[in-house]
Amino acid sequence: MSDRRPEATAAARLSGLVKRFPGFKLGPLDLTLEPGTVLALVGPNGAGKTTTLNCMAGLMVPDEGGTEVYGAHVHPARTEYRRDVGYVGEENGFFQRWTAGRNLEYMAQLLPGWSRDRATRLADRIALPLGTPVNKLSRGNRTKLALVAALGHGPRLLLLDEPTAGLDPVVRAEVLDVLWEVTEDGEHAVLYSTHVLSDINRLADELAFLRDGRLVLRTGRDELSESWRRISFRLQDEEVELAGVVEHRRVRAEHQVISRDAEATLERLTELGAEAVEVARMTVDEIAVQILKEGHDVARAEG
Amino acid sequence: MWHALKAELIYFRPWLLGGLGIAAFVSTLLTVLARVVDGADGVPGFLAGMFPIIAGMVVAFIAQSYRSEEHRARLLMAGPMVPRQLAGVMVLLPICLVGLGALAGGLFVGAIALLTGPLEAATLPTLGVFAVQFLAYAQMGPLAQEATAARNQRRSRAAVAGWTVFVGAVMFLVASQFILGSAYGVLGQLMTVVAAMVVSAVLYQGRTDFTR
Repeated sequence: MSDRRPEATAAARLSGLVKRFPGFKLGPLDLTLEPGTVLALVGPNGAGKTTTLNCMAGLMVPDEGGTEVYGAHVHPARTEYRRDVGYVGEENGFFQRWTAGRNLEYMAQLLPGWSRDRATRLADRIALPLGTPVNKLSRGNRTKLALVAALGHGPRLLLLDEPTAGLDPVVRAEVLDVLWEVTEDGEHAVLYSTHVLSDINRLADELAFLRDGRLVLRTGRDELSESWRRISFRLQDEEVELAGVVEHRRVRAEHQVISRDAEATLERLTELGAEAVEVARMTVDEIAVQILKEGHDVARAEG
Repeated sequence: MWHALKAELIYFRPWLLGGLGIAAFVSTLLTVLARVVDGADGVPGFLAGMFPIIAGMVVAFIAQSYRSEEHRARLLMAGPMVPRQLAGVMVLLPICLVGLGALAGGLFVGAIALLTGPLEAATLPTLGVFAVQFLAYAQMGPLAQEATAARNQRRSRAAVAGWTVFVGAVMFLVASQFILGSAYGVLGQLMTVVAAMVVSAVLYQGRTDFTR
């Protein structure tokens, strides 16, 4: 494997990525992930999150476009990028009848740059039972093993495919703790696919929303929290047109709207002379649900 | 590639040892029964040595199934292995397992010879013919797997090529039963093994999806 690429390069870059399956098309996707960024790839089941990550890990060949990791072209027949990539998926190819420890020992021999010390420290930190065969491990412990295996060779880009899906709250918190510690140094770029929206608040700097294979919105987490509001007001006008509104419910003169541009909506309400205006913040989870429900409309509105 | 192949052999060693143990038990039982019941010299030497080769072939099929189910390519492609090397492991693993079975079969026949006296001259060549035939069967698994993968990945020409070679190979293996004892039969089966390996490896390298 070649030496690491210069720091200035994007951690990952997807350019016009397209992957077709019978009845489903992913892309074209254009996405850049800067070093030190945690990007949550949010979308419902079947949106194309796993396919995106598989293409980025070099496990799938896209039909069009391509992916680069720290400037190196990603393709199954090439190996330059692999030193920089750690991948956690639902299946990680472990020898199921070997113990977790023996699998890690095998990975130490397989992967250049593997640090036994780093892997051991991490395994201790998350109480990974190294002496248990993989097929006897709980789902949570299998995720922990995948995490240690993904981090053992010190990759700069972590691809996490729904790492907390199906985990009980305690293990989920442990896994998130580890991810938090890993990303805290600001050196790792992380692409984290999830439909467990509560994970987003803790980890992600940015969010990319994927729906039916299309990227409908990419935005900063804080930016999202600042612009979206739930607004209730009283107004007699039935056919009111409000800027930035993605959902509007009305019972006689009582209105309740969800706005993706609260400032513009409030300005318009003032002009219309709305009464009893109340503004409530929305959690990122609530906003994400709205975006995925209204996906295409939001994308159009965002341009 | 050799490191990955060695790891697979170590991983499947318990299955192979178990299979060879069962084969040795069956061979011994048959030999003893033939002597006690019929009062004969025992079963022919090549028959006694055939069971370990069959055990190697069965373990080759088990290995293929487990490797696929455990998504091994995902693990190996985290490291510096490219599809050409993964294909090498895929087609060489059955050769190693059947080869180890053949080796055990030869040793078993040798042990019988030590206990019961010299065997017929044709014993070892006959065993070799069966070893080649079971090796050809063992290579049909990866070939069928890769032809199916090509179809699933919408690589139509690759799928057609894979299935054509598969059907041709199976038909030849059936037909070759009639010329099993001849040099042409053995040569044809060896060519079938090589053709299946090459086509499987080429189809594997053309994969567009290594996730399963």
